[in-house]
Amino acid sequence: MKKTIILSLCLFLVAVGPILAGGNLLLKNGTILTVTKGTIPKGDILILDGFIRQIGENITAPAGVKVIDVSGKYIIPGIIDSHTHIALSGTNETGNAITAEVNMRDVLHAEDTSIFTAISGGVTTIHTLHGSANPIGGQNITLKLKWGKKAEEMIFAQAWPTLKFALGENVTQANRTVAGGEERRYPASRMGVVAIIRRELQRAREYIAQWDRYNEWQRLKILNRPLLPPCKDLQLEALADLLRGKLVARCHSYRSDETIEFIQLSHEFGFRVACFEHIPEAYKIAKELAAEKIGISVFMDSWAYKVEAAEGIATMPAYCAQQGVLVSINSDSNERIRRLFNDAAKAIKYGGLSEDEALKLITLNPAIQLGVDKWVGSLEVGKHGDVAVFNEHPLSAYTRCDLTIIEGDIYFDREAYLKERQEAQKVNPKPKLSGGGQ
Amino acid sequence: MKLKRLWFLALLLLITSPSWLTASGLTYAIVNCRLVSPPLPVIEKAVVIIRDGLIEAVGEAGKVPIPEDAEVIEAQGMIAYPGFIDAHTNLFLETPAAESAQPPTAGRPTAGATPEERSPAQPELLVLSQIKPRQTVINSFLKVGVTTVLVAPERGIFSGQSVLLNLNGEKPESMVVKNPVALHLQFVTARGSYPNSPMGTVAFIRQSFLDAAYYSQHLTTWKKSPRFLPRPVYNPFYEALAPFVNERKPVIITCNNQEDIKRAIRITQEFKLQAILSGANEAWRVAEELRAAKLPLLVALNFRPPATSLYSAQGEAVRRKAEQEVYPANPAALQKMGINFALTSLGLSDAATFQKNLQAAVKAGLPAEAALKALTITPAQILGVDSFLGTIEPGKIANVVLSSGDIFDAKSQVEKVWVDGQLFKIEKAPEAKGPAAISVAGAWKVTVSGPMGEMEMTMELEQEGSAVRGAISSSYGRWEIRDGAISGQELSFTLSVTIMGQSMDVAFSGRVEKDLIEGTLQVPGGAADFKATRIPREL
Repeated sequence: MKKTIILSLCLFLVAVGPILAGGNLLLKNGTILTVTKGTIPKGDILILDGFIRQIGENITAPAGVKVIDVSGKYIIPGIIDSHTHIALSGTNETGNAITAEVNMRDVLHAEDTSIFTAISGGVTTIHTLHGSANPIGGQNITLKLKWGKKAEEMIFAQAWPTLKFALGENVTQANRTVAGGEERRYPASRMGVVAIIRRELQRAREYIAQWDRYNEWQRLKILNRPLLPPCKDLQLEALADLLRGKLVARCHSYRSDETIEFIQLSHEFGFRVACFEHIPEAYKIAKELAAEKIGISVFMDSWAYKVEAAEGIATMPAYCAQQGVLVSINSDSNERIRRLFNDAAKAIKYGGLSEDEALKLITLNPAIQLGVDKWVGSLEVGKHGDVAVFNEHPLSAYTRCDLTIIEGDIYFDREAYLKERQEAQKVNPKPKLSGGGQ
Repeated sequence: MKLKRLWFLALLLLITSPSWLTASGLTYAIVNCRLVSPPLPVIEKAVVIIRDGLIEAVGEAGKVPIPEDAEVIEAQGMIAYPGFIDAHTNLFLETPAAESAQPPTAGRPTAGATPEERSPAQPELLVLSQIKPRQTVINSFLKVGVTTVLVAPERGIFSGQSVLLNLNGEKPESMVVKNPVALHLQFVTARGSYPNSPMGTVAFIRQSFLDAAYYSQHLTTWKKSPRFLPRPVYNPFYEALAPFVNERKPVIITCNNQEDIKRAIRITQEFKLQAILSGANEAWRVAEELRAAKLPLLVALNFRPPATSLYSAQGEAVRRKAEQEVYPANPAALQKMGINFALTSLGLSDAATFQKNLQAAVKAGLPAEAALKALTITPAQILGVDSFLGTIEPGKIANVVLSSGDIFDAKSQVEKVWVDGQLFKIEKAPEAKGPAAISVAGAWKVTVSGPMGEMEMTMELEQEGSAVRGAISSSYGRWEIRDGAISGQELSFTLSVTIMGQSMDVAFSGRVEKDLIEGTLQVPGGAADFKATRIPREL
């Protein structure tokens, strides 16, 4: 009997996930860093039905709304990672060089423990992408990290649909040892990469023209012979959507010259580039990027790990931001994702950004890059109640995230989690190894 | 002449009794058994007449006349059930390892792929052409009450079409009940070539259905008005696939985790397939979606949490606990939520494990009647054979199991089984005579020394009487052992090792001396010595 109860409890926990507050919450007496509207030294935030309804001082909670006193703590907008690969059951489709037909939407992995790692560092929204193995990778997706919920409930539906491109050493497989007798995959050079992307975009143009022609003939009904539509091709559909403006490009790029080439390609074919990824040489072309209004999603201080990363510099993100480029700091990692606030702080030390500018690198700027700044990225009335609470100033080296809230629901509560873990260990001590050895 | 008279007699028998014309033309009368065949009412004291492979009559004892020519089986105290239908197995497949490494070319040049690329799809394959039934395996399934199995191909994304077999012998032709049954689809990847990622696989499946539908649209249009329209280029892949997307022939989709189930539902709805979901040992977690999708479900009695599960992410101890305590409750949870399903042995190493896990599922809360339906009438309905299989009713195929007691009770034993009216007597298991003298249960460190050097593995064994179960793990993977047995001091078992998509049987046999096992292992074309030492329980 007891066993049955435990069992059904397990089933219940798995099915329901963490206990939710129901989307209504009042945070009281915290230092609120709104990012866009200054700092409130001691203020409250009221979240109702998942939306921020009020920010200010001495707000009283409507009946039934849970109140959390965060005296002495800091409230910032939920952190946004513009480039990661977590919460997926796959990263690269390397079977072909062109894989625009694959969609990361199809392989969401809601039980990836990296999601928990991320929310323990205040991250609430991620853009999770296909890898950089192919000149044209797959379609990516933006998620809210609602740990414990089903994958479908995590999808941030309003975000731009994006298509991954990649240039440079990864796609030419420059750092891969080719076994004897094995052929190198095309493209294996920089000119090959541009050529294959151009070829595919040209194919997409023809595909659009084919459909247009078919629709026209269908409309006019002038043919007295059988008329077959073109065959629907998922790869070309994705590329056609890029050319039609329904998808935006996200391009993995390291070198400034390749980046400029890709911008030219976007002009040639008329598609929109939302963001270049990593791009350690961005400082060389900051003016061009600012003029083109193309964002960059970069590592704060990681470079020189391969030839094309050799010319990275510590002040690049800050410098580019000062030049008017829309800069975000990304993790590209399931571990660094919990310390993005530390990375943001480095942009103050290396390049002299203001606190708000530094915070924007991990909040508002990635929100703009994903097309979701209307809903997230800063603490403003009307936006989603996505909030992270830190015990000290989030840009301090000694800070840590205590609470992560998405749409008014608590998904990470450090205190509750630690208590729960202690209890669990009491009830069910760590099992001894039965073999193998330690 | 004596001989002449005999001839005449034989001729007479031949023309008067049609039973002589069929191989299974014997007549049996099972009398005084309890008859349990849901959804029909239980008959406490029943008579079942079997003739010519079919059920001739069923009724209460005393009300059904016993034919004179019938062999009477007195079954007082026993229970008769319809033969179990295991609706998804990979039994009897003997694909040479070398062949499996290179799936046959099947034509769908995937989006952007060059024509020479091999695609991991062979929808035109009829698995019947590849099976080699083995009596030992058949016996092991009869022994647990299974008389009918669906055999499905196991390689590739579109892996081919399955066949439904009655376990009446080793001849595939005589065994066939329905062929083909369904196309099999699974979310696997192709090593090396496209698609080699889960998202690539989903895209490949979508594009394949789109292409097959387009091909048949092209073909239909061309047949109607061939002038001024280029004819479609013949393609066996599309030819094979088209009926499943155009005519809604059944497709069985294997789902290894909850995301697979949702993926399968999406694809089913996008292409309006007639899909049956299989595997699904995490089905309870997506019960809402399943209820809404209303798709038939073949639930595997495999309780190993999938790699994507949170249980698997927290280490071996948590995973094991979930395997023992959480996943066995899947069928019970589904039943409670009103979702209809059949139970299968998909992913299990042998029939004994199937039986053990079936008992575990019942213990975890699945009512016995629901379990019985899930092995008889429900799979018959799902596979479209319920007009002649799935219950003990006059006119249906005579697949009948006679058990010494409640078949879900570990103490009961299947005594007799009829398949297509043929009687198979089940030998009493040797373990019933008493426990084996030697216990091998526990963890062992195994060292294999072959001509190429040494290799270390860990072996974990469980023992019930003389039957041995367990698994061996090494840095290459973990494999469950099958046909494990102890006789005297001799331990023997077989390991189906799969490395890099190639599988091979390894036969172990050795002599047990308390904490030491020494022996040899046989592989196709070679042998090696092994030594196993017991790993102490507490460290």
